[in-house]
Parts: sequence; C-alpha cells; structure tokens
Amino acid sequence: MSTPSAEPLSSLRILTAVVEDHPGVLTRVAGMVRRRGFNIQGLSVGPTDEHGRSRMTLTVDAGHAEVDQVQKQLDRLIEVIEVEDLTESPRLSRELALVKLAVTGPERDRAVAEVDRFGGRVVDAGQTHVIVEVSGEFDRVERFLGLLRPYGIVELARSGPVAMSREVAVHEQ
Amino acid sequence: MTGAEIVLEALQREGVDLIFGYPGGANLPIYQQLPKYPKLRHVLVRHEQGATHMADGYARACGKPGVVFATSGPGALNTITGLATAYMDSVPMVAITGQQNTTLVGRDAFQESDVIGCSMPVTKHNYMLTRVEDIARVIHEAFHVATTGRPGPVLIDICKDVQQASCEPVWPTRVDLPGYRPAFTPDLSRVREAAEALSRAERPVILAGHGVILSGGQEELCALAERSVTPTGTTLLGVGAFPVRHPLSLHMTGFMGTGWNLKAVQNADLLMMVGMRVDDRVTAKLSEWAPNVETFIHVDIDPSEMGKNVRPHMEVVADAKTALREMLPYVREPQPECRRPWLTQIDRWREEHPLKYTHSNGHLQPQDVMIEMYRRCDDDAIVVADVGQNQIWAALWWNYTRPGLFINSGGAGTMGFAFPAAIGAKFARPEKAVWCVAGEGGFVMTAQELSVAVKHKLDVKIVLLNNFSLGMVRQFQDDFYGGVRSEVDLTEMPDFVKLADAYGLPGLCVERMEDMRAAFDFAERTRGPVLIDFRIDPDANVYPIVPLGKGLNDFTELPDEYA
Repeated sequence: MSTPSAEPLSSLRILTAVVEDHPGVLTRVAGMVRRRGFNIQGLSVGPTDEHGRSRMTLTVDAGHAEVDQVQKQLDRLIEVIEVEDLTESPRLSRELALVKLAVTGPERDRAVAEVDRFGGRVVDAGQTHVIVEVSGEFDRVERFLGLLRPYGIVELARSGPVAMSREVAVHEQ
Repeated sequence: MTGAEIVLEALQREGVDLIFGYPGGANLPIYQQLPKYPKLRHVLVRHEQGATHMADGYARACGKPGVVFATSGPGALNTITGLATAYMDSVPMVAITGQQNTTLVGRDAFQESDVIGCSMPVTKHNYMLTRVEDIARVIHEAFHVATTGRPGPVLIDICKDVQQASCEPVWPTRVDLPGYRPAFTPDLSRVREAAEALSRAERPVILAGHGVILSGGQEELCALAERSVTPTGTTLLGVGAFPVRHPLSLHMTGFMGTGWNLKAVQNADLLMMVGMRVDDRVTAKLSEWAPNVETFIHVDIDPSEMGKNVRPHMEVVADAKTALREMLPYVREPQPECRRPWLTQIDRWREEHPLKYTHSNGHLQPQDVMIEMYRRCDDDAIVVADVGQNQIWAALWWNYTRPGLFINSGGAGTMGFAFPAAIGAKFARPEKAVWCVAGEGGFVMTAQELSVAVKHKLDVKIVLLNNFSLGMVRQFQDDFYGGVRSEVDLTEMPDFVKLADAYGLPGLCVERMEDMRAAFDFAERTRGPVLIDFRIDPDANVYPIVPLGKGLNDFTELPDEYA
C-alpha cells in the first residue's frame, strides 16, 4: 500500500504529560497504555508548581502501533492537559538511582573512591552497608551500576526518568 | 437539597426527559426522590444491559444523550456491554450508578464493585462522586463530555451516603476541563489541499462513516460528491449518510460490502475517508487494501484516528459536517470527460457484480423479507438490526436515503442489541415506524425486554430471521473452517409465538413466502408490539463476503447457479 514514507522512528517514546492531580489518573494512563498494546518502560509522577497539576514522564514502547499514537491516545484522556513527545526533540532527562553495597574495610574505601570519581555521592554509611546515589541520563546510571556491580549490589532503587524539553541541543555534561 | 435531589434536578436542567433504569440498594435514595420529578419519565427495564441499549437506540434515533440508572455491583456491571457498544460507535450516553457508602468502598462490601475500574476502558470518561458538593458540577461536565467532540458514554458512580447528604448546590454555568478540547476548526490550508486533490484525481472515491451522521453532514457530503463528481460509499455505521439510490452511490464498503464498491476502492487513485475509523472490517487485509491509491485524505474529529490504521497523506481534523462545508468552495467541477471513464467503469462493475440471493429453493429467503419490508416502509421507518447475517441483510437490502434510519452495533458487534435499542428508538421517535430485525440467537439474549414494549404499548415490530443456527458463525465455519459445524445449532429454542403470548403480545410464525405479506399486513395494522418469527432458509448466506484474512480483491459472491 502506498502510504507516505516516513523516517523509521524508534518505537520507544519519551513523553511528558501534565495531568490533573485526581485520584485514578495514574490508572487511567496506565490502563490506556496497556489497552492500546503499548508497554511502559519507565514512569515517574510528581507535583508541578501549579496546584492540582502533576507531571508524568513516561518511557513507552509503542509496540505495533504507529509511534504518534502514544501521544495522541494520551491526549484523548480528559484529565491529561498537555502531552509532549520529547523523543525527537532536544531534552533533558534525569534519573536517580540509590544503590546499597555490602562493603567494609579496604573494599569500602575502594568503592567510595570509585563513586567519588564518577560523581556519585555516599548518602549513608553504616557498619555493614553504604548507600550511594547517582543521577543522570539512563546511560550514565547504567555505567555507574556497571562500575559498582563487582562490589555486590544488595539493593537498587531507580526513579525512572524525569524529562523536559530544552531550547537547543547544547553539549550535555 | 439532598444529593439524590441534586442528581434529578441536574438531569432536568440538562434537558433530560427519559431515563432507562433499574433500582437497587445503592441507588434507593435517587429512586425515592424520583416521583417528585414527574418530568423525568422513567422506564423500568428488565436487565441493566437492556437499559444501556435502550439509551443507545434513543440517542442514535434523536441525537440527545441516553440516560441510564443502575445500582451498584451487578447492576452496574451489567451496563458494561452496553457502555462498550456505545463507546465503540461514539454514541452519547450518561450512566449514573449507585455505589456503596464512602466508608465501605474498598472493603468488599455487599454489592460493591470497582465500576470505575471496570468501565474505564469502555467510557469516554467516568467519575466517582464522594462529595455531595461535586454532583451538580460533575453531571454538567458529564453531559458536556458525552455530547461534544467525538461523542461517547460517560459513567458517574455516586456513593449512597453522598446521595443522602445535603448541600446547597451551585449550578455550573460553564465547564472547566483544561485537558478537554473537543472542537477543532479545520486547518484551511489542509482543507484546500484536500479539495484540490479531490478535483485533480482521476479515480476518486469517498467513503463516509458514522461521523457524517453524528455531525449531521449528509447534505454537505452530497454536495461535495456531486460537485466533484465522486463515487461515494459508506461504512456499515455510515449507511444512510449517502442515498443508496444516488447515481454516484457505491453502497456499503468493507468485507461484506457490495462488489462494485470493493472494485472501486481497490482501483481508486484517491480515497477520502470521512468520519470513520478505517477499521479491519472496512479494509479486510490492510496490506492489500486500496493498493492503487496515491492520495489518502482522512477527515475525522478525533486526531488519534489520523494514522491509527492508515497513514493519510492529508489530514483534516474537524467534524465531518464542518470539514465538508469548508471544502466545498475549493472543489472545482471536473470536466465531464475527465470523470467519464471512471464512472463508466464503476457502472460496469455495478452490472457485473450485483447483489444476488437464492430465489427458488423452496425456502423463505431473508432477502425477500427485507425487500417486502422496504416496499412497505419505503424511506420512513427506522430499522434497528442485531448482529450477524441479519445485520448485513438489513444493511444491504434496504435503499436507505437518509441518516438515522438504520441503527446497528457496528463497532462492538453486540448480539442482543437490536430489540432494546429499537425500544429506545421508538421512545425517541414515537411518530416513526420502528422495525427490529434480529436473528433468533441475538434476540433471546435480551428478549426479557418484551415486557417493556408491552407495558408501554410500543409499536415496535420484531422481524425475527430465524435460521435455527448462529448463521454468521455457521457461514464462517462452512466457508472458512472446512465445513466443521461446531456449536452453532439453535434448533432448541422457544416457540416464539408462545413466547410472545407469554409476554402478552401477538406473535406469528411464517414459513412460506405466500404467508409473508399477510403477516406484515397484520403487524402494520396492529397497535403495539408484534413479533413475527420468519423461518428462513437455514443455509442462506451473506454475499459478497471477503474470506477471513484475505484482501478485498478476494471477495466471493453467490455462485450464479444458486441465484
């Protein structure tokens, strides 16, 4: 069939949505994503500066659907006020990871030194464990975890990304 | 005022005069107040699914939103199929369900169910009310959402203690829904581009869907088709949007569409799709659909329909009526010789692939029943069809000239829809003759609503096309599943004449062609509901049909030796 040819777009979409802060909005969004055959890979929700509004950042695999369907279907929900698909546009994206390591003695010193070099931070140090944190884009968090894996990660909590559009794609630190 | 009074007062303010409902524990406070509101006429149904289909038929017949009451738990859950039916076909409806007390929600209380969760995927929007102060605003919002933009059902779940609580209502004068932007003004440059493409095309086709009917755009469609000299067909839900007898008519498209329509779609160089979803029943195998089209134009009010199934080259996001009206001035009348080859070709296809049916095997044929009905009712009756073969026969063998005369569950394909929907249509348009066309399988799914037709002396005539089997499934098994007939036999059915008698309406059984006219005569001169059990050819099939999984080019017709 002679449909217009478009650049092949990644089925993984990064979107940000401003939603009304009502009970059940998350269910509505998640239900729509499942029902349309998409898959949520990352999701974070938090309040905005405006009372009664929350911002969601979603990483969604559009699956078999056309990629613009994710944004359009989100936009159909009455309580979704604004949706932006950031996938193809300049954006800033950050994820937070908390990592608990069971390290003591000289091994702990080596681990802490590596965390420092990477730009992570020790946020808690107990007798048997330390907890370190890092924030950054998905890949940076992945690299950080790769660095720490040899020390034995006993617990990991990742926030999922938060994202917003930026004016130009300047070099990111 | 109590919450219950606010509900009823708010409905009156929305112009509601008819409610289809069923009381129960969790909506008792509303029903207790109902007698104080005599302007709100209430129809006590026999099953909540019936209420939703009645509200649906009502809305489709008169354009006003249908209103449903149901209690919590099973009562509310019984509305789900009807909500889904309305949602798939973009029908405006407001369902108000009772819910357990706010203090008991979440505790698995008696007749508690998560109606919000259950109805979320089958409603345009839904609300759970836990504060009496919200009732007035939410009901106003619900009607706004249900009736604007692409219409659809809205459910409001109201906790029982909220119905009993009191407050001084603040009646809203406006709606504040920042995330809801239902009205789209068409982008004029797109409109112009589309109109010019239509004028330029050599072999254009317009397909019209339910959106044309919902927006009241049939005159604009006709004007556009005529000025651009474009052959125009409809989807199943669009039947009536374009007069079947119009010289440019391609009748119905899709996998049970007419041969000349499918030929035209498959050979067109431009296809303009207006107010339709382009679903799998329209395209059959998508990769083989409309292979010669160089320009797809899609007109729809819902931006998410653009590219959902077919990626158009030109998009016009607006309601069908507005879009067509804006397009008209930009359409150039083509030179007659430009269109002649295309129109001549379509005329040839129309002659080569006429609608055919088996005439002379001694059985009563469903098509004969439809033709006789049409002869009597002409263009002035409302036909409400069920789902299956009866639906396609009723769509193809009538020559609908206007929208709103053919009602069916095209999207959801809900068996049992027709009879309650016909009741709703009759309430909406009491001056019209209303015919319910159903198979025996679908009819018994909601036949309990016969009591409603009898109680209200509704002139709904039930034409049962009884072939003693689930005919469409039987046809699929015969044609596409190696002839293995599995669980489609419906010979064990009630004696429908006795069933009618038990419910208190006259019933007739017609087995022979010779008796058909007398039965119709009887039905037409009898006031109130009548059921006619037409025992039709058990092997009658729907033709043309596209084999499952195949493209439109592979449509099969009734072999000539059977015609």
